[in-house]
Amino acid sequence: MKTRLSLLVAGLVPVFLLVAAFTQAPTAPASPEIGATAPAFTLQGADGETYTLADFEGQHVVLEWLNFGCPYVKKHYSSGNMQALQSKYAEEGVVWLSVVSSAPGKQGYYPADEMMALNAEQGGQQMAILLDPEGTVGRAYGARTTPHMYIIDAEGTLVYKGGIDDKPTADPSDIEGATNHVSVALDAALAGEEIPVTTTPPYGCSVKYAAAQ
Amino acid sequence: MSRLFSLLPRWLLVAVLLVSPAPPAWAQLSDGLTGPDDRSPYSAATLVSEGASIQPGVPFTVALRLDMDPHWHSYWENPGDSGQPTSLTWALPEGFTAAPFQWPYPKRIDLGPLTTYAYEDVVHLLVEVTPPADLAPGTSVELAGEAVWLICEEVCLPAREAVALTLPVRTEAPAPSPSAPALAEARADLPTTVSDWTVRATRNGRTFALYATSASGRQLDPEGLQFFAATRSTIDHAAPQPVTREGNAYLVALQESDYAASPAERLRGTLVAPAGETWDAAGRYRALAVDVPVEDAQAAGLEAAGGADASGPPSLVWTLLLAFAGGLILNLMPCVFPILSIKILSFAGQQGASAATLRRHGGVFGAGVIVSFWVLAGLLLALRAGGDQIGWGFQLQSPPFIALMALLFFGLGLSLLGVFEIGLGLMQKAGQLERTAQQGEASLTGSFFSGVLATVVATPCTAPFMGAALGVALTMPAWQSLVVFTALGAGMAAPYVLLSMAPRLIDRLPRPGPWMETLKQGLAFPMFATTVWLVWVFGQQAGIDGVAFLLLACLVLGVAAWALGRWNPVRTGGRVLVPRTAAAVGLVGAVALGLMGAQASPATSMASASAGADVWQPWSQERVEALRAEGRPVFIDFTAAWCLTCQVNKRTTLRTETIQDAFADRNVALLEADWTNEDPAITTALESFGRSGVPLYVLYPGDGSDPVLLPEILTTSIVLNALDRLPNPSTVASATP
Repeated sequence: MKTRLSLLVAGLVPVFLLVAAFTQAPTAPASPEIGATAPAFTLQGADGETYTLADFEGQHVVLEWLNFGCPYVKKHYSSGNMQALQSKYAEEGVVWLSVVSSAPGKQGYYPADEMMALNAEQGGQQMAILLDPEGTVGRAYGARTTPHMYIIDAEGTLVYKGGIDDKPTADPSDIEGATNHVSVALDAALAGEEIPVTTTPPYGCSVKYAAAQ
Repeated sequence: MSRLFSLLPRWLLVAVLLVSPAPPAWAQLSDGLTGPDDRSPYSAATLVSEGASIQPGVPFTVALRLDMDPHWHSYWENPGDSGQPTSLTWALPEGFTAAPFQWPYPKRIDLGPLTTYAYEDVVHLLVEVTPPADLAPGTSVELAGEAVWLICEEVCLPAREAVALTLPVRTEAPAPSPSAPALAEARADLPTTVSDWTVRATRNGRTFALYATSASGRQLDPEGLQFFAATRSTIDHAAPQPVTREGNAYLVALQESDYAASPAERLRGTLVAPAGETWDAAGRYRALAVDVPVEDAQAAGLEAAGGADASGPPSLVWTLLLAFAGGLILNLMPCVFPILSIKILSFAGQQGASAATLRRHGGVFGAGVIVSFWVLAGLLLALRAGGDQIGWGFQLQSPPFIALMALLFFGLGLSLLGVFEIGLGLMQKAGQLERTAQQGEASLTGSFFSGVLATVVATPCTAPFMGAALGVALTMPAWQSLVVFTALGAGMAAPYVLLSMAPRLIDRLPRPGPWMETLKQGLAFPMFATTVWLVWVFGQQAGIDGVAFLLLACLVLGVAAWALGRWNPVRTGGRVLVPRTAAAVGLVGAVALGLMGAQASPATSMASASAGADVWQPWSQERVEALRAEGRPVFIDFTAAWCLTCQVNKRTTLRTETIQDAFADRNVALLEADWTNEDPAITTALESFGRSGVPLYVLYPGDGSDPVLLPEILTTSIVLNALDRLPNPSTVASATP
């Protein structure tokens, strides 16, 4: 019996080694893949607090790339659509973080106090606006557009990335009748169900990253 | 084995390919857009016609003309990473129909890490309009609509404008309008087919290869050749598109988009020749239309090699055939063939039994084999699911793991050479089971379990040889993996089942004999080759002292194996306590030595690098910053000893004289980030490029602009092309670091 077990082990281990060697080789993704651990980060909030992704373990986290100067962002803020999502899911215990990766001097960048004032004016209901002027976190997540949405589950796994909905326009009248990918994904995730669509093309303005890094 | 190692990664890249949804349908437009008072800032839209009049029932061409301020742009059919395509909502008179836009080829605009496809200055988006046949000549018609576009410099503004055009209806053919030359120019910029050129596309993992082949062998400057995909989530817009020449073809390599969501069955878009070059000899067309099915690179390669017909076998079918053949070949492995003979003996023993009984036993035996393969598949799939979490690459970063692997392969090699036998006891068990099966009359359970046993006993021999099929299977969805494993099992069971159907064939089988021993012993050498590779990897991690420990561990293991074989139960009449104890002590000692070796410091390991290695400096973020501050171009090789692709690239490309000279000519500082041992600084650096693994090749131009990421699989021309694109070196004087 012992021999048989050891034989099994001896037989399977090389298989695993081969598999390990070969699966290692294929290309790595340019942005984190669905099902992979979301890149860790610590960022300063516009409110002066420090926010670390790992601190929210056990809760679902939404990352929303934000640029208040962008017409696509205006579409979702002037209509109240984004704020409604933020407060609805805050009530369900979801951590909603808006990330600004605009570099100083570029559209969407504001010093912390101005950002707070602007957000109050817009009625933003997110937990915090995180400042990423060097674009490090934006690049780690492969954030391309504002808005660009990411959902991280309670275990820290990336479960959704992409557009906020399926109508890639800057026209607020397109919000009605659009399928909101983020709320579909969050509802499924909170109900413990499988998320039907985990990746969609993001749409919006380009993230105004610092020119060289 | 080493051949396997170098060949397999390509296979594995046969992954599922994904593509984009169609461009979004435009909703009816409305007011209420936030934005400046000017409804079309920095740009203006007009509707223009090619002809000065129209004829009843005769289609004619108009264009939406966008005039943009300098540095502002509007977007193509596929806007790229951000932006929005221009649209026109028509309000046409009764009976008129308008076709969709025909888009002239766009320009690539890079914004930091993002790439968009856009138009600058002025663009004419062509539309074919068909009027009704019952138009009355002498009247006039008004074509109207509302254009909506996005106008961007670095910031973007939405724009919209009502456009209209009134044209007289005449019976005679229209005279050209003042806009006709501009429309003719726009038409020449539409992607078009050129009779001399054929285009095809293949896919290998996350990489597409687009081939443009000229029948006449026409050549053009490949520098700046650029493919624009018409659909949004097909290719990575920002990725470099290295061009190589193969025979009469230009091969453009494209990376798949991270947002690809379904298998890409076609590549649609345009391949644009560099400025000043055209596809046709007359010098008219820069944009070659591309709308081709994507072939699987494996199938395509086989086609090319075998000259098979155009519709090569689909990859799954092909894999299944390979798996079945692989299963058949497993029967020739020395661990398996004896089982076959045991089984055959049992057939012989059942000669009295009816043919039907025999068939039933054969079928049940086959089922046993297949079920065992399913269990193996399930185990592997479970591990794959787990492996996604832990990341298999990390296993190979662990020196103790490598040491144990090296010992295991060394031991397997010794066993195959016949130094000791590990399968004997099991084979005897199998024999006993067979016999009980016969005694217990027609015990189908016995047949089933001898099938299971055959698979289990065979595993040590078969495992390394199944690697190929397993590797492919693991890149597939679970159900496909199961199908592949079923094919493997079916292949392995096939001879038994066949024999149970036609027992007379038994006489035709090659008898077990010395040839098998030769085969078995020969197979020891691939095992030793693997051991050598593992020791080399281990040496990178643990240095020369570590290697000494590991080799000592191999020696002790060898002694233990020898003791076990020299005093085996057959020779010693069953007295096995002493040799077994000695072997056990030896095994424990070997493992302990290997693990001790794994503790050795790698401090001295880097000293023994290959020739030319002194040019390569160890990577650190500070060093990168310092070199960039000097204005020098920097090339970083993120690598690891256990990463096969990295090693292949290093040998075939990076460390060749051509490339080293090219680096020196351009005064490129060469840094190597060695991730063989997990290094948090390197992990962070990889993450900053959005990567989770190696290889990664980063080239910083010397002028402080954004780095260029090279593809995972390098060729000399890819690297040279990237180097040629560097800004002109101003600091060539100090060519050596």
